Amino acid sequence: MNPVVPDENAVATYYGRPVLKQPVWIWTVPAYFYVGGISGAVLVLGAVAQIKRDPGLRPLVIAARRLGFIGQAVGSVLLIADLGKPSRFLNMLRVFRPLSPLSMGSWVLAVGGALSGLASILPQKHRSTRSLSDVSGLAAGALGIPLAGYTGVLLANSAIPVWQGARHSLPALFVSSSVASCASLFEMMELSPREQRIVHRFGVIGKTAELICITAMERQLSEREAVVKPLRNGVAGALWTVSKVLTVASLALTLMPGQSKARRTAGVLGTIAGIGLRFAVFQAGFASSRNPKAVV
Amino acid sequence: MPQKGFFTDTTICIGCKACEVACKEWNQLPDDGFVFSGLSYDNTVELGASTWRHVAFIERPVALGNQETALGNFSWLMMSDVCKHCTRAGCLESCPTGAIVRTEFDSVFVQPDVCNGCGYCVVSCPFGVIDRRADDGLAWKCTLCYDRLKDDLEPACAKACPTDSIKFGDLIELRLMAEKRVEELHERGLTEAYLYGADPATQPGTEGLNAFFLLVDKPEVYNLPSDPVAPAKRSGAAWASLAVAGVGLVAAAVAAIWSDDESSGS
Repeated sequence: MNPVVPDENAVATYYGRPVLKQPVWIWTVPAYFYVGGISGAVLVLGAVAQIKRDPGLRPLVIAARRLGFIGQAVGSVLLIADLGKPSRFLNMLRVFRPLSPLSMGSWVLAVGGALSGLASILPQKHRSTRSLSDVSGLAAGALGIPLAGYTGVLLANSAIPVWQGARHSLPALFVSSSVASCASLFEMMELSPREQRIVHRFGVIGKTAELICITAMERQLSEREAVVKPLRNGVAGALWTVSKVLTVASLALTLMPGQSKARRTAGVLGTIAGIGLRFAVFQAGFASSRNPKAVV
Repeated sequence: MPQKGFFTDTTICIGCKACEVACKEWNQLPDDGFVFSGLSYDNTVELGASTWRHVAFIERPVALGNQETALGNFSWLMMSDVCKHCTRAGCLESCPTGAIVRTEFDSVFVQPDVCNGCGYCVVSCPFGVIDRRADDGLAWKCTLCYDRLKDDLEPACAKACPTDSIKFGDLIELRLMAEKRVEELHERGLTEAYLYGADPATQPGTEGLNAFFLLVDKPEVYNLPSDPVAPAKRSGAAWASLAVAGVGLVAAAVAAIWSDDESSGS
């Protein structure tokens, strides 16, 4: 059943002790992966809708900015809660370090959040404030692109074997999952028929891409049994499998023609899948860090 | 200021743990509890936020190259582990606050008044050295006794080492000394002796360690990774994946919104 791999038992260890340190992060980190990812995807959707300059899409544009801002605000709180010294959260903006995805992400979140906040609160009645709001909305949308998936780069840029081993696909997986999660969130909301169609297409693309990325990531990690192991066993493995199944189910329901109940259910399933996927990947890192045989 | 570092020659380590004690005392680090691990003489078990030197004890059913044994083959390896102060330091490159800096001695130092305990360095170290302390929430590791170096003193561990297994000095001199030592050991029949992390050629992933080691068995035996790599050296693929997916994200949004043209009149 397993691919041909070197005999794991032949690898020497120091009394089976881990080589690496376990992450010190808590549940707020994967929760942020989900919330921040949606925020990125929805801001992109809103900015693209804004570019179309169609009055019929204006409610979607406004809703997207607000959702994006709420996601960034909640996400910031989740990240600050994880810090060992939360009162020093502003130190994140002390340096600008392109080598560190966490530094880049902090800037994207801080600047993007300010922009989406501005776009959301500026009055839409006056021409001048409205155009300032639109400029902010576009800029927030541009920053939404990295926001949707930089967390994948953040994990891949670590020494943890299962995260580093997934570096070719994990960022793409997080981006596509953000699209799927964003669509799932909208599917649970009251929308106009036109907005429903937009969300439907966005969701089908996102969920399909997510399943492709999942398959690609599993294939890459399978090159070494010790590396892929956490995604096949234990809590992480169970979450990973459940979220895969639910993504398929959510996609299938989305594709069923014209039933609003099915749409809602697809949204619920897609949401659980999106959250489960982030926690699965997060949890897999803990198991991976404990296995000295996964470290080369 | 010349580059400073450690050359730890494990063949003359006697496992006295004076380095561990000296480090704890000088740096005023809290104890880690009095646990009995059952792993040979190693009750320290690992490096951590409050343990910056750790002596590993390896009991092997194998004799050393030049060793004569009376009752079966056996050898006992001891090695004092420490932060490697890598040329490409994963912790430093990941640090989003700039708390982790390169000092004038070329060592890697965490500024405790800047660190906000984000924990990214913890997963970025390929050696599992740095960790976050539970009480103050900050990341801590060996400072190469930055305060002592400032006063022209050698680090506490090197000062305390009774066999000079831990050698401190200018990196260039330490490397020459280490190469000579390996040659000498080879001549004496200990042909398995080699240097771990002494230069960028043998350890491209870190581009060399400022604290390197002389070992007589595979790195994994000492709980060292055989091919440590600063994560950022490999993350180009991750950024590329994000870039491709970012284009896909915009394309998905355009497809979702633009393909609805026929009904936009309503």
